[in-house]
Amino acid sequence: MIFEIEIKTKKGFSDPHGIHTVSEIEGIGIKGVKSVDYIAVYRISGGITVKQAEEIAFELLSDKITEDFCIKQYKTLEQKKIENNSIEVWFKTGVTDTVSESVSKAIKDLGINEEVAVKTGKKYRLKGELNTSKLKKIATRLLANTLIQEYLIK
Amino acid sequence: MNVNIIEILNLKDKQLVELSKTNVLSLSLVEMKEVQKYFKNIKRNPTDVELETIAQTWSEHCKHKTLTGNIEYCEEKNGKKIIKKYKNLLKETIFKATVELNKKWCLSVFKDNAGVIDFDQKNGVAFKVETHNHPSALEPYGGSATGIGGVIRDILGVGLGAKPLANTDVFCFGHPDTKFSEVPEGMHHPKRIAKGVVSGVRDYGNRMGIPTVNGAVFFDKGYMANPLVYCGTMGIIPKNKTDKEVKSGDLVLVVGGRTGRDGIHGATFSSVELDKESDVSAVQIGNPIVEKKVLDTMLKARDLKLYRGVTDCGAGGLSSAVGELGEKTGVIVELEKVPLKYKGLNPWEIWISEAQERMVFAVPAKNKNKILNLFKKENVEATFIGKFTNDNKLTLTYNGRQVACMEMSFLHDGVPKPTRQAVWKEQNIKKQNPVKVSASVLSSDMKNVLSDINVCSRDYIIRQYDHEVQGQTVVKPLQGNSITNSGPSDAAVIWPYTVVKNTKKAIVLSNGLNPEYGKIDTYKMAASSIEEAVRNAVCVGADPEKISLLDNFCWGNPNKPEILGSLVRASQACYDLSKGFDIPFISGKDSLYNEYTIAGKTFSIPPALLISAMGVIENVEYTVTMNLKDVGNYIYLIGVTKNELGGSVYAKIKNIKGGFVPDLDVKISKALMKKIHFSVKSSFVEACHDCSEGGFITALSEMAFAGEKGVNIDADLIKVDDKKMTLAEVLFSESNTRFIVEVKPENSVNFEKIFKGHIFSKVGYVSDDKNLILVSKKSKISIKENIINLQKAWQKTLQW
Repeated sequence: MIFEIEIKTKKGFSDPHGIHTVSEIEGIGIKGVKSVDYIAVYRISGGITVKQAEEIAFELLSDKITEDFCIKQYKTLEQKKIENNSIEVWFKTGVTDTVSESVSKAIKDLGINEEVAVKTGKKYRLKGELNTSKLKKIATRLLANTLIQEYLIK
Repeated sequence: MNVNIIEILNLKDKQLVELSKTNVLSLSLVEMKEVQKYFKNIKRNPTDVELETIAQTWSEHCKHKTLTGNIEYCEEKNGKKIIKKYKNLLKETIFKATVELNKKWCLSVFKDNAGVIDFDQKNGVAFKVETHNHPSALEPYGGSATGIGGVIRDILGVGLGAKPLANTDVFCFGHPDTKFSEVPEGMHHPKRIAKGVVSGVRDYGNRMGIPTVNGAVFFDKGYMANPLVYCGTMGIIPKNKTDKEVKSGDLVLVVGGRTGRDGIHGATFSSVELDKESDVSAVQIGNPIVEKKVLDTMLKARDLKLYRGVTDCGAGGLSSAVGELGEKTGVIVELEKVPLKYKGLNPWEIWISEAQERMVFAVPAKNKNKILNLFKKENVEATFIGKFTNDNKLTLTYNGRQVACMEMSFLHDGVPKPTRQAVWKEQNIKKQNPVKVSASVLSSDMKNVLSDINVCSRDYIIRQYDHEVQGQTVVKPLQGNSITNSGPSDAAVIWPYTVVKNTKKAIVLSNGLNPEYGKIDTYKMAASSIEEAVRNAVCVGADPEKISLLDNFCWGNPNKPEILGSLVRASQACYDLSKGFDIPFISGKDSLYNEYTIAGKTFSIPPALLISAMGVIENVEYTVTMNLKDVGNYIYLIGVTKNELGGSVYAKIKNIKGGFVPDLDVKISKALMKKIHFSVKSSFVEACHDCSEGGFITALSEMAFAGEKGVNIDADLIKVDDKKMTLAEVLFSESNTRFIVEVKPENSVNFEKIFKGHIFSKVGYVSDDKNLILVSKKSKISIKENIINLQKAWQKTLQW
């Protein structure tokens, strides 16, 4: 089974990555974006169970005090429902993803010996006056370098 | 396994060119014919592995074919033509000066991964600056991160390995306010490049635990699609570890990162012009955590004397690194043993991949297990992949089958020398029309210059870098009384007391760069940059007789005679100034073909020569900073102010046409630098700052607001060489060899004695009313500016 583990800042804590993204969006001259929630996504494939995925999310990927996690079953692009006003950014296949290398190693250190493959992605939930062309500009001019990354928007 | 035999023996010229192009070999026809000749002699076609190896080894990036090739240079001056032929520009200019100066304290010059000079009886200091321009244009974050990662490995790979102490980073970017519509398709906006590059350097440098202590940023629209990213590292090395000695029978050990398809053709790619369809696999991503582990462990192995040679995998990957180590012996490598990130790599890809964080060692067979255990204990991957031989051949096998076998001499010395044409025509430059402005305009001009993108505060960038880690940074990049009151330091000083116990000695790092002058005259640009780097170092307390230099040329396409001509001019300046100052170059690098194509039109970058200076200070207690210290102290301006507004910041913002680029009298400069150093050593100097971009008034403003002090200046006391100069010209001229020095009244008599016979003047004093007051009776102008307003002007521009 392939899981996608999403890590998000808990309510009541500030999300520095999201706040920074808002100011960066202003910096490229796009107005009307009120807030951005940043979500780190880890796609883990291999022979792990739901319980193991929970353990990985809880023990390894999230900060227990400031972050929540959510485990989803991975869907292909066609199956996937992308949330409105959100942008997802993923490394293209073959591009070195150093965080994923560290995560794979750390999963072994947790005592989970199944062979896993990890991919990391970033998800941005935007609020404000938005439309597809704005989202596309934000994605291509700021959040994704299409040479090494691909992005999904809605 | 996939090894192809490439048909080359029967190819015609046109087909040879085609082969070079389709395989991204970046070899010229002459070179391809040389390759063909070699294989005709040994009566077989090459494999793809062999062809790729030749391309990597002969690349501009690795062999510096232009600077070491034949050049026919033609100079047109006063209607006369002078022809000069160079057989090896580098050896006949920059390197020649070093040879002629023959400094005993130069331990290793122009032969290893970095230059090394004497620090104390037991230690040397190594310094290297590299460029990573093309990768940073495509992927700013990864490109700059791997740039800094690469130069750190240069320091690890000098001799038997030096311990990195500090980083320095210099960038040239396009204008950050460029409209999106002006940015060519497929390229990033200059501001995005700038932010990405800074983040990349920040993350890699900070994670390595190496402070970033010095740098510069220059913005110009000419760098829009081709930014320049210079990364430098300085390190300390025991003197008995400065030489490699690879012996036949030693084993080849690869350490650190795994090999993937990253950065394939990086070396040959750097010799290609950038366009929309540039090869995407040339992108490299860095992993500082791996490199940090390699650093820590290899220094242990070094001190245990477990290996005899080391070098880093940079451009050209294993092919260059193993090739360099085995140049004198010969080597055999079993490619299937190289640890891979994923399956499916062809042998040639394994051999030339530029995956990051890899080092190659030459290990005596008896230490095989010891060194493996050491790396294993620290979780660093280390794998033996081959053996140094005594047949002077490069042999590669894959699962027992030979896939390459070539003479080392052909690989390393076989590259044919091209002959290129270079021309330079003297331009007829006239003095600008006199610049007359009123007091109020002068006041606003002062602030506009301070706010100029090439003068303004870089604290947004500097404060992202950790410049304190290792706890040895004595003079820091920003100086002043507090976080809100700070000015730009001239140079950084590192006191390596944690590595060299009980030492009083320190190392100073500075730089000089001004492409604006190069647009008019690259000779003067080079001369000014050299002086600026040395001047900056001397300002904080460096001894001008103990300074060494690095050159880093970033130029356009050398196949164009005018561009090569400007490169020759700059190299000549390096020779003249190096000899004149008695200051040697110890290492350098060039990055050519910095041009890009937009809509069929080719643009070349403005030539940029970065001069980096490294000096050794005898006693760290005798260093000074640039912020004003005490009310009542005198302010001196050392040196003469000439009518030199050409290429100045003031000329740019006021759109002034004409004007001379600052010239340089090296004899006077050398004498004044020695005297400044003597004054610092005698504790007569409270603060010292050099006049560069923005001229005297800009440097003075910086000293005032950094120290939160006012100043009272009589501008008529400033020594000029041209009595007709207007006040604006005096204040904003960027003449070289000028220092502003703060001296206590009780030391002033002795201080003035030191400079007897030279041009200098006491121009004013430090006041307590927090205003910069400047009066010129001659021009009937008086200015009063609050220093807080000046500081605000300086700080507001670059706050992203």
